[in-house]
Amino acid sequence: MAHSLSAECTPLKHEYDACFNTWFEGYLEPAIANASTKGHSQDQRIEYSKLKKEEYDRKCGSIWAKYKDCVQKAVTERGLGELLSQARQENPLREPPPPDASGSS
Amino acid sequence: MHIFSQSFKYDHSWSHVVIGMWHKYPNPHCTHVVNVDVLDRTIDPVTGIIRTERVLGCKQKAPSWIVKLFGGSEDAFVREISFIDPATQIATITSINLSLSQFATCYERIQYRPMSSTQTSFTQTAEIQVRMAMWRSMTDKFEDWLVQRFEQNAISGKAGFSDVLRTMWEAKEQQTAPS
Repeated sequence: MAHSLSAECTPLKHEYDACFNTWFEGYLEPAIANASTKGHSQDQRIEYSKLKKEEYDRKCGSIWAKYKDCVQKAVTERGLGELLSQARQENPLREPPPPDASGSS
Repeated sequence: MHIFSQSFKYDHSWSHVVIGMWHKYPNPHCTHVVNVDVLDRTIDPVTGIIRTERVLGCKQKAPSWIVKLFGGSEDAFVREISFIDPATQIATITSINLSLSQFATCYERIQYRPMSSTQTSFTQTAEIQVRMAMWRSMTDKFEDWLVQRFEQNAISGKAGFSDVLRTMWEAKEQQTAPS
């Protein structure tokens, strides 16, 4: 796994990344299957997403809070805070962009 | 503005490619990426879409004149926002440079979509744009400064030469002046 911006945060980052990756690998395949199975209603899909989000918060929430704090400090120390807030203002990217027309068939 | 685009396919399922995304660095082909941090991550409990904001630190190989002119450093930072939508099976990754962004922007978008159960398409587009307004205001300022310097030098040059001429000739001219 890659290092963090600050050596101090690297152990927290590795712990968080490992937690997220484990969760994500368990989340993805059933989520895809849910969406493409005709028998599954939208309510069932939403129920699954909700349960998985709760599971993520329960399992990775506390390490995420610690890691996020650490990285936030590192970002400020490296003088990236202002660049980031400017970038977020220019391109918030809060919603997924529309599918690329020139994408796959 | 320059636009770059390419596409190709990976012989792996979409889920394998998307899981692999988080394991992309470090990788011996991309040694310039030295650190990766997650700044923000949200999981939408209704749509199931995962949004991740990361900052990537790279050892940039900027031409030395750029570093000298704009005071950049060896490290360059990129902000990356990704959306993974398991329902539509579209993963979109947008990257924008943070470093030197006041002068030029590189806006890159990558999409991974399934082509079959064992193949995933990759499309990449990048827009590279120099901020002309910035350049213009900078060159204007530089020009103003040059004009000022020139005017100042012209004034002091005239004063200086007047002094030289005066000290050279004043005495002589007084001597030879008709009495």
